[in-house]
Amino acid sequence: MNCVELQKSLAEVEDGSSLEQRAHLRACPACSALVRELNLIVAAAGRLQAADEPSPRVWNSIEFTLRQEGLIRPQRAPVPSFSTRWGAARWLVPAAAMLLLAVGIYLRRESLSDQGVQQVSVVSPVATPSDLDDADFMQEVATQAPATKTRYEESLRQVNESIRDAQGVVDESPNDEDARRSLMDAYQQKSMLFEMAMDRSQP
Amino acid sequence: MVNNLTAKLVAIGVVVAATLVAESKKEYRFAVGPKAGVSVMNPYGSISVKPSLNNTVIVNAVLHSDKVEVDNSQNGNRVDIQSHLLAGADADSGRVDYEVLVPADASITLHSNTGSLRAEKLHGDMSLEGPEAAVDVRDISDAHVHVKTMNGTVNLDNIQNGHVEVDSLSGEVTLRGVTGPLVQVVSTSGRINYIGDFGNSGEYRLTSHSGDIDATIPDWTSADVTARSVRGEVHDDIPLQPKNHTWFPIDKGRAFAGTMGRVAVSSTVVLRTFSGKIHLRKRSEKQ
Repeated sequence: MNCVELQKSLAEVEDGSSLEQRAHLRACPACSALVRELNLIVAAAGRLQAADEPSPRVWNSIEFTLRQEGLIRPQRAPVPSFSTRWGAARWLVPAAAMLLLAVGIYLRRESLSDQGVQQVSVVSPVATPSDLDDADFMQEVATQAPATKTRYEESLRQVNESIRDAQGVVDESPNDEDARRSLMDAYQQKSMLFEMAMDRSQP
Repeated sequence: MVNNLTAKLVAIGVVVAATLVAESKKEYRFAVGPKAGVSVMNPYGSISVKPSLNNTVIVNAVLHSDKVEVDNSQNGNRVDIQSHLLAGADADSGRVDYEVLVPADASITLHSNTGSLRAEKLHGDMSLEGPEAAVDVRDISDAHVHVKTMNGTVNLDNIQNGHVEVDSLSGEVTLRGVTGPLVQVVSTSGRINYIGDFGNSGEYRLTSHSGDIDATIPDWTSADVTARSVRGEVHDDIPLQPKNHTWFPIDKGRAFAGTMGRVAVSSTVVLRTFSGKIHLRKRSEKQ
């Protein structure tokens, strides 16, 4: 099974759990990252509420992506390189936009539902089985030069620390909108780090 | 002694000559229409983009060895440039430095792992990304400016009416004279500096985990400011009218919130860090 066949087959078996899919995913970091993102979106989308309003950053990211894709400025052609250079991982751009939307709406929903409830443990939407896997990250950077690898590892350590700290504040104060944003930002930073590591390992 | 010196000079000459022979320059030209899209992907080396005088994209590339090639293509109003590493190429031999001239309204996408990324005097959307790239963007108007780095420094200077988003893990981020409907910086451990007046009616969010946040603003600033450091300190040199409601308790020394200037045109300013320091300063005459 190649990357194209895998993407087609995802419509039938969405989580990449067939034997053929699993075999391909083990050998293809780009497709495994794609499936991971899709699972994350599916997990977060289940918690959506129609009336919730995401942060301006979410709209901004979507607008930027649409403009880059040429969808809201038809006289300008889209910037092409992403699809050609990223191959199967090109879906990460709209997937990332959807992910931000889903996480933003989720946090907003949690904020509203928590009003009046002081001690509620908040589980981050990203702490799911489809979480960003540090082992995958380490595998991506393993082939880099030692100095580069060290910098990536240090960045991962820092961003994990920031997630822990932000999660701690959210757990202490579930109604704290600011803390929720911090947690979302920390996860976005980690997502960005993973994207950079994967991008750098592309041939 | 003399022979020894001569031998060293000859050796140096050979190395220099070999370097010059290996280094080559190439130029590519593309005719494009309004609002073209230009993309430059360069694993190793710098990319500098400036406005051209007409509807032409001009790419000047300096290749540092024969282990790298430049792939280029044009598809309608889109131009794609990509450094193509050949077998055995590394960060030195695979290096290409680009100087690119584009129509001022072109949208650009730049990527380099290690070199500097620079754009100036443009008003098209731009995305600049590189794990270790130093980013310098200046004199931009009416555009989306998106920057992503891991540990490269980011300098944004004189960006008007911008939708600005900067994500940096550990590099220092400095914004000078940057205004627009949305200006957002997120950093994990890098320091964030803002020098400017926060414009009119925009949303400004400067966020870090452990990096310090320093905002230096003039007297005439109109802003609704909220600042909070969960574990660090906050310092406010400017008197603010206190706010009645915040999302969090105002713990003196760790948070402040208030307004200054004309409410009708106030921007929303959120300065937030987990363990860094926040300092809101008044701009001196010299700045």
